[in-house]
Amino acid sequence: MVLYVVQYIVTHNACEDNDNTEVNYVSMTKKTQEELDRWSKEVKRGAVTLAILALLSRRKAYGYEAVKLLDEKMSFLALEQGTVYPLLRRLEKRELLKSEWDYEDPTKPKKYYTVTDEGLKAVGAMTQTWNVLSREMREVVMEVE
Amino acid sequence: MSSNNPLELIEQYLDRVRVYLPLDSEDTIVELQTHLIEEAERIGNGTMTAGSAMMAIERMGDPKSVAHEYAGSGEKVGPVPAEYANPVARITIVLVGIAAAFIIGITMLGVPLTQLFGADILNWPVSIPIMLFLNIIIIIGIIGIISLFDREKPLTEKTTLESIFGLGVEGFKPKGKLDALGDLVMGIFWGIVLMMPAIVILYSPEFTELYMLVVVWLFLGAVRGALFYIGGENNFNLAVEGILSAVWIAFAIVLLNIGFPVNYAYVYDGVSWSLFDLEGFFIEHSIPFVPFDWIWAFIIFITVVIAVWRIFVSTMKITMYLRAGKGIWWQGNWGERRSLRTPLWKRMLGEHDQFEQQKQTVFRDGYTEPDE
Repeated sequence: MVLYVVQYIVTHNACEDNDNTEVNYVSMTKKTQEELDRWSKEVKRGAVTLAILALLSRRKAYGYEAVKLLDEKMSFLALEQGTVYPLLRRLEKRELLKSEWDYEDPTKPKKYYTVTDEGLKAVGAMTQTWNVLSREMREVVMEVE
Repeated sequence: MSSNNPLELIEQYLDRVRVYLPLDSEDTIVELQTHLIEEAERIGNGTMTAGSAMMAIERMGDPKSVAHEYAGSGEKVGPVPAEYANPVARITIVLVGIAAAFIIGITMLGVPLTQLFGADILNWPVSIPIMLFLNIIIIIGIIGIISLFDREKPLTEKTTLESIFGLGVEGFKPKGKLDALGDLVMGIFWGIVLMMPAIVILYSPEFTELYMLVVVWLFLGAVRGALFYIGGENNFNLAVEGILSAVWIAFAIVLLNIGFPVNYAYVYDGVSWSLFDLEGFFIEHSIPFVPFDWIWAFIIFITVVIAVWRIFVSTMKITMYLRAGKGIWWQGNWGERRSLRTPLWKRMLGEHDQFEQQKQTVFRDGYTEPDE
């Protein structure tokens, strides 16, 4: 089996502990890489909704702004426009977000998204669940380490 | 052909994306437009150039995939790939609509459906699926060949296939604001003209009995124009358009049977105006073929084709808007696209593009700064 040596640097900023963990030179087989990719996709799928709702619960933002803000803050999620815009639309359809057009600059009309009351309730519930999950996961993962 | 104007590049690219999007996707296009402009400005450190616009476009990617990602361009339908589902469905609807409009128009003129082109269609209607199958094979072959020539085209240039699919986009474009204003003005103008006593005396006795109905229909058409001018495209206005078109088709059957509506025309003999008997001229000069009823049939045929097309589009759009959860009345769009570039007439008056590159002064040491 071909061995891939990947220079894999993960900077993990944990909110609660504020610790910086660096993982350098992790050797991975192709199979491990595939499993990691698959698992990452599954984790991202759930996390991205919370990330967008949490971001927009603090401030309103238009599509491009949201893409850039998420890109700055969330390196793991690596969100691209092709993920953010459809999700914004889906969340709006599910009435967790509402939008309003701003035509102040006619060449660049901006569709601003904000969280609805229903969305705020959902963010609250999701955040609580996320906190429980991350605490429990940390404990379980530390046992493995 | 690719342009050096960054806004033109973005518009050309968005035109390609539009082809693959569902009908009611103008919001998506505007969002993408803003995204591309801001990304191009970021890449160009605050200034948008053709190069930075092209880079932003390349980062966004293939129009088919973009449409599919952003708005869900559709689900796979039979052998049609998901990204082509929308344009193929749209162009099919256009073709079916045109065919339906022509068949209804021709049937009204009394031409049997099996003799549309002057020859009997053999084995009717069994021959239809065979003809369809053969035509689909030919179309697939043609598409395959023309796609070969489009492989090296830049992202901003429409492929030949997209130009064909684009016909479907144009066919369903909402009524323009100026067109709506035209309907309003022309409806009132022709309604008044048809009622003028000097014009009424030209009518045939049969049409004299009916012309007030045409006048009422024209005034209702003017109201429809006003509604579209005020509210753009919404379900109420589309319903009005569909109903008026249906009324016209019913009315056209009567009008077709009364023959050419005008018996006389005004002529000036150098001294005064007098009435000229149109049909009498042909009889007097022993001309065997009197074309007026044929001209009238052709006019009615064209108006019926347009009316059927309008009913077809209105019904489709109302269904689409209802499915999208829209109500009866809202401030809808007009057909004009929001162009990023300043129109020619405004540029002639001295107004410039917002994104036009500022003139720069280059100093001897190579330092440049904008002239403001």
